[in-house]
Amino acid sequence: MLKKVLVANRGEIALRVVRACRELGIASVVVHSTRDRDSAAVQLSDESVQIGPPPPKKSYLNAAAVIEAAMRTGADAIHPGYGFLSEDPDFAEACEAAGLVFVGPSAAAMARLGSKQSARTLMAELDLPLLPGSREPLDADHALSLARRIGFPVIVKASAGGGGRGMRVVNAPGEFLDAYRETQATARMLFGDGLVYVERFLTVARHVEIQILCDARGNGIHLGGRDCSVQRRHQKLVEESPPPRLPPGLIEEMGQASLRAALAVGYRGAGTFEFLVAPNAAYYFMEVNCRIQVEHPVTEMVTGIDLVAEQLRIAAGEPMSISQDAVAPRGVAIECRINAEDPERDFAPTPGMVTEFVPAAGPFVRVDSHIRPGDMIAPEYDSLLAKLIAWAPDRDAAITRMRRALTEFRIAGENVRTTREFLLRVLDHASFQTASHSTSMVAELLGG
Amino acid sequence: MTDAGNDDLEPTVNTALGPRVEAVREAALDLLASLPQRPERLRVRAADVAVELDWRPMPTPPESPPHPAQHASAEQHPPEAVSAAPPGVALDGRVGLHYVCAPTIGTFYHAPEPGARPFVAEGATVNPGQQVGIIEAMKLMLPVEADRAGRVVEVLIPDGQAVEYGERLLALGPVESIEERTHSHVEEGARRQPR
Repeated sequence: MLKKVLVANRGEIALRVVRACRELGIASVVVHSTRDRDSAAVQLSDESVQIGPPPPKKSYLNAAAVIEAAMRTGADAIHPGYGFLSEDPDFAEACEAAGLVFVGPSAAAMARLGSKQSARTLMAELDLPLLPGSREPLDADHALSLARRIGFPVIVKASAGGGGRGMRVVNAPGEFLDAYRETQATARMLFGDGLVYVERFLTVARHVEIQILCDARGNGIHLGGRDCSVQRRHQKLVEESPPPRLPPGLIEEMGQASLRAALAVGYRGAGTFEFLVAPNAAYYFMEVNCRIQVEHPVTEMVTGIDLVAEQLRIAAGEPMSISQDAVAPRGVAIECRINAEDPERDFAPTPGMVTEFVPAAGPFVRVDSHIRPGDMIAPEYDSLLAKLIAWAPDRDAAITRMRRALTEFRIAGENVRTTREFLLRVLDHASFQTASHSTSMVAELLGG
Repeated sequence: MTDAGNDDLEPTVNTALGPRVEAVREAALDLLASLPQRPERLRVRAADVAVELDWRPMPTPPESPPHPAQHASAEQHPPEAVSAAPPGVALDGRVGLHYVCAPTIGTFYHAPEPGARPFVAEGATVNPGQQVGIIEAMKLMLPVEADRAGRVVEVLIPDGQAVEYGERLLALGPVESIEERTHSHVEEGARRQPR
C-alpha cells in the first residue's frame, strides 16, 4: 500500500481524501495557498505545505510547486481530487517522471479521453452511440453546412472544455457563425485550445453517467449510474443514484459499453462516462471525466463502496477490493450541492464570512463539507459549501429525507447566500418528484 | 491574474456592492491572508476606505492555532511558516522590521554556489532589487531580491534549508536607525512568479 499521499486540492475533496488516507493508515500531506492555511483539510492532515498565494494559477495549479512539496515530504503519490490539475496529462506525466504515483489514469489514457473530440472519435470506433456531429476539426463555414445537415438546434462545444464551460446552444442557422467563433475564442482563452466541435442538441434529455473503476491489472467494473439532470448552465445541482425510470437493463448496457471503452485505452482508476438519454431511452456518449467526481457519494451510498479508497488501492498497484458480482446497489441516494451562490442573481457567487454553520444530521444523512463557522468563502475558489447526501430504501422516501435534512441545514454569513432554498423548490417540483424532469428543469423553474 | 500583493484589488463584478466596497473587502482578505497570526479584531470601513487591525502583542505567540495533527515536516521546520516564527527566533516580538519572504516553495541558499561568499551578511545594507539569496525549486534557481531598502538584522533561514511559499527569510531593519519602533508593522516580502 502507499505510505504517504500528497493531496493537491482544497475544500471538501481535500478533506475527503485526507479522511480516506487516515482510514487506510496512509499519511497525508495537504498543499495549500496562504488563503487556506487554516483549512479543515490542513488541520486534519498529518503534514501541510504552503505552496503559493491565493490565485489558483500560483498555488493549486502550480505543478512545479506541488511536485516539489511531494518530493520534500517524501510522499509516494499525489491525489489531484477534481478540478485544478486532476485532468492535466502533462501533470500526470511530470509526476511519473519525478517517481511519484499519480492517482488517476496514465497521461496517455487521459490525453486520449480528455479531449472531447478525440474521445468522440474513439467511441465511434468502439461502436458507442454518438449524437450526429463533427468528427474532425472544421472551419466555421464547413461547420455551418454540417449543422444544417444535422438540423437545429445544435450545440457547439470546446474540445478541451469541462465543468460546463465552453459550450453554446445554437437554435437557428443565422446565429451559428457568431456562436461558433465566440466559442472558439472562449475555448482559446479558458483552455488554451480553440478546437471546437458541433453536435445535435437534445432539448429534452436526461444526463446519466456511469461510474467505473479499473485497476492496473486489466480488471474493470462499473458501479451503476447517476442521474444529474438538475443543472443550471450545465452545472449540476442535484444528483441521484440509481437513475430513476429507465428501462430495465439500460444501465447495465451503458456500463458494459463504458467498460469496453475504458479497457480499450488501458484506463486506470476511477472514471465517469457521461451520456445523454433521450425520452425514447436512446443513449448517446458525451464525454469521459478522468477523475473522482463531485457527486461520487451517491454511488458510495447505494453500493457501500468507498471510491476514494479504491482509487488509492488501485494507485498502489493492488487489485480492487470488489468484483462486478459484489456490486449490488441498494436503495436510492440523492445529493444536493449547497453553494454560496444567489439563485436570484443567476447563481452569482457570494463570497464572505460564514458566521453560522449547522449541518444537517440524523439517520442516513451524510454531509461532505470543509466549512466551519468563521471560515471565509474566498472569491478565488469555487462556491461549493457542502454536499448533502440522503439515503432511503426508495426514491420517495429519499426525497422526504432530503427535504427534512435541507430544512435542518443552517448556513448564514454576511453577504452569503446559498442554494439551499432553491434546492427545496427543486425537490418540491412535480416533475422532479415524478422523475419526469430533464436538463432544462432549472431554467423552467427560474422562468416561472 | 495578478500577484496577491496590495496591488491585487480586482473588484469582483458579481456583487451588488459598489466596486469601492468590493476593493476594500478584497484588500482586507489579502491582508488577513498575509498576517502572521489571526488578528484579535478586524475593522473594515468602506466609505472612506479604512482597514484597521488589532492584535495583542505577544512576546511568544502561543504556538499557532490548534493543529491536532503533529505537522512534523520532513525537514523539521514549522510548516505554518507564515503563522509562526521558527523556534529560537525571537524576532516576532520585535517591531519595525520588514521581512523578505520566500517567493516560492524550494530550498534557500545564502550564496551563489557552495563555498562562495553569501549575497548578504547580517548588518549589511541592501537596496531594493538587490539579490539576497537563491531559492532552488524543481532544479530552477530563482533569485530572491530585497523588495525595499534596509539593514539586514538577521538571516532567519539557514543555508540549504527547505522553505515554503511566504516563509520569512531575512529580517530588515530601518537603514538609519537600530531603534525599535513602537508600532506593529507587518508586510509580506518579495512576491514574484516562481518562474
